[in-house]
Amino acid sequence: MKIWTSEHTFNHPWETVATAAWRKYPNPHNPAVIGTDVIERRVVDGVLHTHRLVSSIWYFPRWAQALIGSAKVCYASEQSVVNPVSRHMVLKTINLTFCRHIAVDETLRYTPHPTDPSKTLLTQEAVVTVQGVPLTNYMEEMLTSRISNNAGKGRQAMEWVINRINDEVKGLTKSTDEIFNHTKKSLDDIASSAKKSMDDISQKAKKESRRYT
Amino acid sequence: MNMNSIGEACNDLKKEYDACFNLWFSEHFLKGNTNDSMCAPLFRVYQQCVKKAMKDQKLDVEEVSKDVLGTDKEKKEPQSS
Repeated sequence: MKIWTSEHTFNHPWETVATAAWRKYPNPHNPAVIGTDVIERRVVDGVLHTHRLVSSIWYFPRWAQALIGSAKVCYASEQSVVNPVSRHMVLKTINLTFCRHIAVDETLRYTPHPTDPSKTLLTQEAVVTVQGVPLTNYMEEMLTSRISNNAGKGRQAMEWVINRINDEVKGLTKSTDEIFNHTKKSLDDIASSAKKSMDDISQKAKKESRRYT
Repeated sequence: MNMNSIGEACNDLKKEYDACFNLWFSEHFLKGNTNDSMCAPLFRVYQQCVKKAMKDQKLDVEEVSKDVLGTDKEKKEPQSS
């Protein structure tokens, strides 16, 4: 078992970061995430509760492929709460499938920065456990370094998404209807190009997995 | 910006729902209006599609929730100030 933690400050208010967090994927920094689906969502006492299913493709180095294959689609369950009054957003993710052997439990917390409420503090924690697979230490090391690497990418991704949102907002008129239409239109464009690259990824993944099975 | 759904057939429904949700989240929810009826009809049809797709791919909704609900990983309201 390995525990990994980190902190990061975004120079954006909490509302901006929370909005971006929902729109984090797809982004060019985390191509492994190929899908997100909301399974359950409701507002209870002013707090938004969401349960999402996140699908991602994981690739492994050659030595590990004999054990778990070269590429796998894994599913994760992400439970989150957003409290707009206390300005808290907490997301907890656990791997569901990984497929049974490896558990990666991750918690992301977005809160106003304690000394500067115009900034947002992200605290991130991940616990990795591997059972029933030989070379467990190697596996844990590998996953922990990957999480560390991905965390950096995740922060870059958030900045990327925030920039996009800021650009979108700047170019839009005041009316909500118009915002909706514009957003929808740009979403359509982005979605179709994103879908194209996702299709490429899954094509490649299929080819790869065929080669090793 | 949108991701794919696990069910290809749900992608358009998901896209419409996500667009509605993103607008609702920033323009209503974060501004103190917690009434979530705005996107409810879109959510309902998208949900039906996803649940079916999960069933087809043998991903059990109950199983997905079971790992979390009833444990300390269950979603809880953050300490409000």
